[in-house]
Formats: sequence, structure tokens, C-alpha cells
Amino acid sequence: MRSRYTRWISIFAVLAIVLAACGGDDTSDTTAAGSTDETTADAGGDTYEVFALLPQGNDQPYGSTYLPPMQEEADRLGINLTITNSQYDADKQASECEVAVAANPDLIILWPAVGDTVRPCLEAAADAGIPVTVTNSDVNPEDKDLTAAYSGPDTYGQGVASAEIFCDLAGGEDVGIIMVNGLTGNSTAIDREAGFEDTINDQCPNVTILARQPGNWNKDESQIAASEMITAVGAENIGGVYAADDTMVAGVIDALKARDIDPASLIITSIGNTFLGNPLVKSGELDGTVFQSSSWDGGNAITTAYEVLTESPSERIVKFMPSVKVTADNAEDASVAPEW
Amino acid sequence: MTNEAQSVAEAVVGEPAIEKQPFNLLVWMSSRGIFVFTTVLVVVAAIFIDGFASLDNITDVFNRAAPIGIVAVGMTFVVISANYLDLSVVAQVATAAVVLIAVSNESNIPAAMALAFVIALLYGLVNGVAVGVFKANAVIVTLSTTFIGLGILRWFSGGSIYFGPQDGAIRSFGLAKIGPFPLSMIVLILMTLILSFVLTRTNFGFLVRSYGSNRDATRLAGVNTAWVVIGAFTITSIAAMIGGFVLGAFSNTAVSSMSTGFDFRALAAIIVGGTSVFGGRGSVLRTLLGVVFVSVLTNIMVLSGLGFGVQQMAIGALIVAAVSIDSLARKASGT
Amino acid sequence: MSQAQGIQLGQEQGGLVSRIRVTIARRTEGRALALLILVAIATWITEPTAFTAWEVTLGRVALIGLVALGLTAVILMGELDLSVASTLAVCGVVMASIDNLALGVVAALAVGLIIGVVNAFFVVVVGINSFIASLGMLFFLRGAAFVISNEEPVRLASRDAGIAFGKPFLGPLTPRMVIFIVAFIALQVFVTRVRAGREFYAVGGNREAAYDAGIPVRRRIFTGFMISGFVAALAGVINTLERTAADPTAGSTVLLASFAAAIIGGVLLTGGRGSIFGTLLGATSLGILQVALTLTGVQVDVQNIVIGLVLLLAVITDPNSLRTVVGSARSLFQGRSGSHPVG
Repeated sequence: MRSRYTRWISIFAVLAIVLAACGGDDTSDTTAAGSTDETTADAGGDTYEVFALLPQGNDQPYGSTYLPPMQEEADRLGINLTITNSQYDADKQASECEVAVAANPDLIILWPAVGDTVRPCLEAAADAGIPVTVTNSDVNPEDKDLTAAYSGPDTYGQGVASAEIFCDLAGGEDVGIIMVNGLTGNSTAIDREAGFEDTINDQCPNVTILARQPGNWNKDESQIAASEMITAVGAENIGGVYAADDTMVAGVIDALKARDIDPASLIITSIGNTFLGNPLVKSGELDGTVFQSSSWDGGNAITTAYEVLTESPSERIVKFMPSVKVTADNAEDASVAPEW
Repeated sequence: MTNEAQSVAEAVVGEPAIEKQPFNLLVWMSSRGIFVFTTVLVVVAAIFIDGFASLDNITDVFNRAAPIGIVAVGMTFVVISANYLDLSVVAQVATAAVVLIAVSNESNIPAAMALAFVIALLYGLVNGVAVGVFKANAVIVTLSTTFIGLGILRWFSGGSIYFGPQDGAIRSFGLAKIGPFPLSMIVLILMTLILSFVLTRTNFGFLVRSYGSNRDATRLAGVNTAWVVIGAFTITSIAAMIGGFVLGAFSNTAVSSMSTGFDFRALAAIIVGGTSVFGGRGSVLRTLLGVVFVSVLTNIMVLSGLGFGVQQMAIGALIVAAVSIDSLARKASGT
Repeated sequence: MSQAQGIQLGQEQGGLVSRIRVTIARRTEGRALALLILVAIATWITEPTAFTAWEVTLGRVALIGLVALGLTAVILMGELDLSVASTLAVCGVVMASIDNLALGVVAALAVGLIIGVVNAFFVVVVGINSFIASLGMLFFLRGAAFVISNEEPVRLASRDAGIAFGKPFLGPLTPRMVIFIVAFIALQVFVTRVRAGREFYAVGGNREAAYDAGIPVRRRIFTGFMISGFVAALAGVINTLERTAADPTAGSTVLLASFAAAIIGGVLLTGGRGSIFGTLLGATSLGILQVALTLTGVQVDVQNIVIGLVLLLAVITDPNSLRTVVGSARSLFQGRSGSHPVG
């Protein structure tokens, strides 16, 4: 409740600043509002200043459940967080990185908007002596020496895990599948697609991808695209479906039902184990998904940063979120209770 | 020279002060243009693309068309009033969907709809007053209300994704079909008929067109132009709300990011339909055709297995081609 | 003389005083200046870092402003270019797809010019509205960026050159800032001192009169779109170099930010009124506001609400519109029965 309260304080403070500024001459109001801001910041006592450069936040379901545990962990460890959201615009994130370096925090947490574009940001931080830890999506191998740590899911590995569930169920059979991917050009979407496809080609080449379309992480777009792909390749040729996240696989399952195809008769896998996906696994419509814990991700971003701040380790810390496969066998387990 | 003469001609044609329903060759030709394009596309696809003519696929086309179409027929009013577009439909559609599902989970559907309706009126009023009374630029006004609206929505919802109950009324609506027609398509057709009536047969519709073709003359004629603009934005907002309901019901989920891109996609449908971005000229029926055209085209490309990049290129090329052919035909006919 | 256009004629008559008065009265940057001062004061009080680290703020201004400067040239003629963000993305991808850096830069800039020519061709020769032509290009070029890049970021062959490009080379100024300043000066001089540029105002103000005055309107429109396309390509080249890779999804926030900068700067979307300097002021206000809000550490959603409110306030407080408000507000409640929306 306290965080909600401070939220409202800060919005009113900001509004007061803006309105006072627009009002013009009433300067006493402005300074009062400014000092309110500072007192809340100082309340923590011995605090670390940390910038977190994220490409999403409350504009995406994952980000919205990633942020609260991150903030909670930061409050617990006495870290004062400044969070940005570049909406996956690499240029905006680069500019935010410049702002962060100029503010000279104790550490920068980076979730790359586009992995290939972060090298200059990392060099700028290194030149300023600011350590950088990476969260959610790791940087390219050659850039790793500029970062102190990584924590988060193995995005490529999630695609691999989903494909492994698929291959197990396919056995040696010939299976034709349709594939629904994430937002076109998005790095998570690219990595998961590559992980799934590489593993299929490697472990069960008898599985063939008949059609693929982006579902843009949306249920409705996925539902329509899946239905159209079923028309395109013929319902009788489809033995399975892979979707890059649970929201989209729910759309595919609805599309199948709308055509009176029993989802349980097909092999269907995805990634996420969300509030939407977990019940589908329990009901047997979704054969398997891969748990991505947003609270693990958000919380570990801070604990990892804290380790770097307090212990200055010489080795790069790497903490992979375990890619737990969720199938009918373990879907009821408390350890895989969905979070988003 | 012909280009300029033409734009002058356009300013003069549609001169609404003279009579309510002038027969306009240009209007007739361009509406026939999109009708011909759509028919040819459908016939060609039905012959050459396997599965295109199946009932299931027709449903898919309608599912594609319905939410964006409902938004576009409403936004036609803003375009005809010569105010470019309403960018804030992105925020409005998402807000309506989230309110519908989140609030109906907490209390009941009528309460959710009532709240969404109040929010829609608020959007219409804020956009309309800023543009109509303060004479501010519609692009920036609606850009700022998008920022504010999405910010508030995410603030309150925390960005969460909401699901309706699997056996609820919203879900039943989203799944309901009459033949190949999903209920959402029926809603779109009803909206088109109602808004078409409003635009062509009511005093308000006449004022919107007249304001769009010559706002100074309309004002000097003693018309209270502020109400005209507020009305145009309010119609867009109510349509965006209904579009949000339909989108939320179709997927039975709602999240603040679900309507990304609705602004320019709706505008593309309006323009492909042949409504003039100069304002004044245009019709709701043409917007419906534009939406169907773009939806059929996208459907064909997905059926053909084309990638997302090629789809975007084709849609872009066809927007330009459709309007170019229209323009060249007009030049050739010497009007 | 270069004062051929009708709208400039008044300036020739009268003495210095009236000339100054006319100049001030005709200035369109007032709103942007007021906003800039307010934003600057509020920032100075709450987040002085935005000024002490001025090169960061300048970098942000250059990021928002460069595309907006080119766009202004088109808007001054009463035309629109919605394709700038897609142009930025496709030119970046073209550049990164070519291994030779210099060749890539030249190719990207050439593509930008060609895009400008294509836009202008549809507007001038085919005779369709620029809003539509460039909306089509918006979709087409985005799609092309995905097709050329195979839907993935394309890495620059010479990453080191890219990283070096992002470093200061003229005092504290990075090449981006220098290019931005040069582009501003060049365009400012072009539309105020060069005959062809000054004719942009006439083309946008009253196209018929411009024709009658013998201004080559078609050629001016071609020039305007080529400027816009070239500048967007330049932004794409700079971004790609600085990031060491080209992202086909790049520029998602560029289009609307550019329009916001131009319109706050007093540039009239229907053409004929506004200035490059106004756009610079608009971009500067937005840049400072964004940097300051980031530094406050306030939640991103709240930042967006604040940016939205500031934009809304800026756009409804145009002196011209405020004057009409009183009149409209009065009539709003008088003639209700006559033209009520339901009627």
C-alpha cells in the first residue's frame, strides 16, 4: 500500500511542478514540490543509485509483472532505482543510456532493446567507470567482457526447451506444424524462433514447418493468423502448433476450436506458463510450455546488481532462469504457479 | 497545372451551401473505383487461391475487418471534417477493452459498458474542445491525449493482461456467428448503416461535410462550428469504444498494448476507400469497402505464405496505386 | 530581388521601426519560445543535471530534431511526409547491408533522395495528396526494411568505425550534434536567404498565387520532398553508425515526435507559416523535457502523462487560438438548439 501512496505523492508532485511552471510566477509552489521529491529519495539512508534501462514496462504484460518484484527487491536492499522504457526503440535507449551515464549512478542495469546496438552504450559506461549488469536478454558474446553480470532467461534456450517437448511427443512420426511468432524484428521473437527451429531440425527433422506468421504477442492477431494458416495448408495436414508465447497459443487453440478441431488431438507447445497458458496445460489442450518467471527475472536483476555493487566480483556473474518445462505432469506444482 | 486546377475544383465542388445532396461525378467514380478493386481482388482470389472461398476463411476475413472497421467508420467523421485523423483511437480502443473485461470481472457488464461510455464521451469532449474551441491542431491534440490516455490506463491497470471468464456473456458474444458472419461483422455493418445515415441524411452530417470543405464559410454562415467538431470526435470515440468491445470480446482478453497501429491502419482503410484527406468529401460506405479491401488483401497474402515485410510493402503499394488510378482516371475524364 | 513572393511584399515598405514591428508580428515561434522557457526553468529548479550534462541533452535534441528539420521543409509547402520514420529505417538497413562503409553511406543517402523523388512524383505528376502518397510509403518502406534485413537487425561490417563515430570529435561535440547544427544552419539559410527556399512559403501559402507569380511550384515540391527524404536518410545513417547496427524496426517513435516538434514550433500543417528555427525550439523543448523527466526517476507512465499534458497545453495556448476561444466559448452555449450534434 505504501508504494501506491508514494506513487500518488509523486504524480501530484510532478503535476504541481508542471502546473506551477505553466502558471509562471508562483515559484514557492515549485520549490515545495521539488523538495518533496528529494525527501522521498533520501528516506532510504545509505542508498545506491541505479539506472535500469528497460525496453518495456507497464506497456507490456510481462514488463508489468517484472517491475513490482524489481522495485520491491530494490527497496529491500536500499537501491534507489531510476527506470526508463525505450519501447524497443534502440535509438531512444541509446539516448537514455547517455542520460544515465551523465547522471553518474553506481550501476546501470541494461535490458537491451536490440542486442546488436548496445556496444557504444557499454563502452560509454565503461569509460565513466560505471559497472553494467544485463537483465532478461544477454548481450552478444563479444560484448560480454564489458558487462559485469547477466541474469534472466535463456531466450534461445526457451525455444529449445519448447522444441524438446515437441520432439518427445512427436516420437518418430512425420508431423506438419504451423508456427506463430512474436513481433516481427523483436529480439526475443527472433531468438525463440531460432531456438525452436534449430532444435527441430536437429532432433526431430521429421517435423516440418508448413507455415509461419507473426502474431505480434497478441491473442487476437494470433487467432486470425492461425486460422488463415489452417486454411492455407489444410486442416488435415496439421499435426501440431508452436506459438512463441502462451497468449498467442491461446489464440491458436481458440482458432482450432472455432473450426471444430480438437486441440487435444494435436501436439501444441509454447513458452511462458502464464495465467492464460497454465490452465490450458491442465486441461490438456496445450501439451507443454516453458516457465518464464517474471518475478525471478525482475528480482534477480536487482540481487545480481547488488552483488556486483557490494562484492565487485572478478568473474562475470551469469544466472540463468531455469527453463522449466511445464506439462500435464507438473502443471499443478506450486513451483510453477503462473505469475503473469 | 491540372493538379492545381483540380485541387481548386475540389474546394469548389461539394459546395454544400447550395444543396444537400449534389450529384458529384468524382465522388461516384472514386466509390466505384474501390468497389471495382475489391470485386476484382475477391474474384481473382476465389479462382486462384485454394481455400479463399471457404466459409471458414470468409469468417477470418470478417474477423480481421470488424474491429479496425468499426474504428475506421467512426474516424471517417474526423477525416471528413478536415482534421486529418484521431491518433488517440489507439488509447481509446485499449481502454474500452480493458474496462469492459476488467470491470465486468469485478462487477457486471452494464457497469463496465457505462464506464467505458463515459470515458469515450470524455475523449470526444477533450479532443473536440481542444480542436473545435481552441482551434488547436488535431494531430498534436490527439497525440497528446494518446500519451495521457495510455499513461492513465497503464497507471490504473498496472499494464496487466485481463481475461474474461470462459463461459461469460462477453465470450459468447465474441464467438457467436450467423452463418459465416461473426456478430462483430454484423455490428460493423450496423454501425456503417447508422453512421452513413448520420453523415448523409442529418443536419449534423451535412454540417460536418460542409465544415470539412470550407470551415470559414461554414462559420460565417452562422453555424456553431465548435459543436460540429466536438460531435465528429465524439462519434469517433464511441466507435473506438465499440471497436474495443468487439476486439476484447473476440479474444476474451484485454491489455493496453492490443491496439497498437490502429491509428494509421484505420486511416489507410479510410483513404483506400476514397475519402479525401482534404475533408468535405467522403463516405462511411466507402470506408467499409476500404476495410474489406485491406482485409481481403492481407488474408490472401497470409494464405499465400508471404512474410510480414512483403505484406506491408503490398499494402503500401496498393494504397498508392488505388488512389493513383483514381486520380489518373479523373484527369483522363477531364474533370 | 528575391522578395518576389506576395506575402513578403509588406516588408519592403515603411521604415525600420515598422519593419521590426512587422517582423515580430509575423514571427510564429512565440509559443515554442514560451514553452522552452517554462520547461527550462522547471528543469533548472528540479533537475539541473539536464543542463550541466548539456551535451547529453543536445544529443537528445539532435535525435528528435534532425528528422523534424527536414520535415519542416515539406510542411512549409502545405505538404506532409509521413514516410520519414520508415525512410530512416530502410536507409539504415541499406547502409548496413553494404560491406563497404563509404559506399553504404552514399547508397543510403541516395535511397533517401530517391524516396523523396518518388513521394514528389506521386504528389506532383500523378496528382495524389501527399498525405496518402507518404502513408503508402510509410507501409511500403517499413516492409522493404523487413524484407532487405530478413526481419533481423543488420550489423555494420566495420563496428569500430561506428563506435568511433559516436565519440566527440569537435570539442565535446559528437558528429551527430555537428551534423544537426550544420543541417539547421543550412536549412535556415535556405528557407530565409535563398530564393528557392523562400518560395516554399509562397507555395504553401497560396499555391495559385505562386503559380501566377511564375514560381516553379512543381520543382519546389520535388526539392522539398528530396530535402525531407535526404535528412531522414541522414538520420538513419547517423543512427546506424552510432548503434553499429541497423534495426528494421527503428524509428518507431520518430514520426510523431517530429510532427510534435514542428507544430509546437509554430509550423502550420496547412503550409505557408512557420520556420526552421521554430522547429528547433520545439525539438529543444521536447528534448529537455524528456531528459529531465528521465532524470526525475518518476514512473514512465507518469512521464507520458506529463508529456501529453505539456503538449496539450502548448498546442491549445497558441495566441491566435486563445483569441478565438472567447468567441467560440460564448457561441458554444448560445446557438445550441440550432446546430446541436444530435440535430
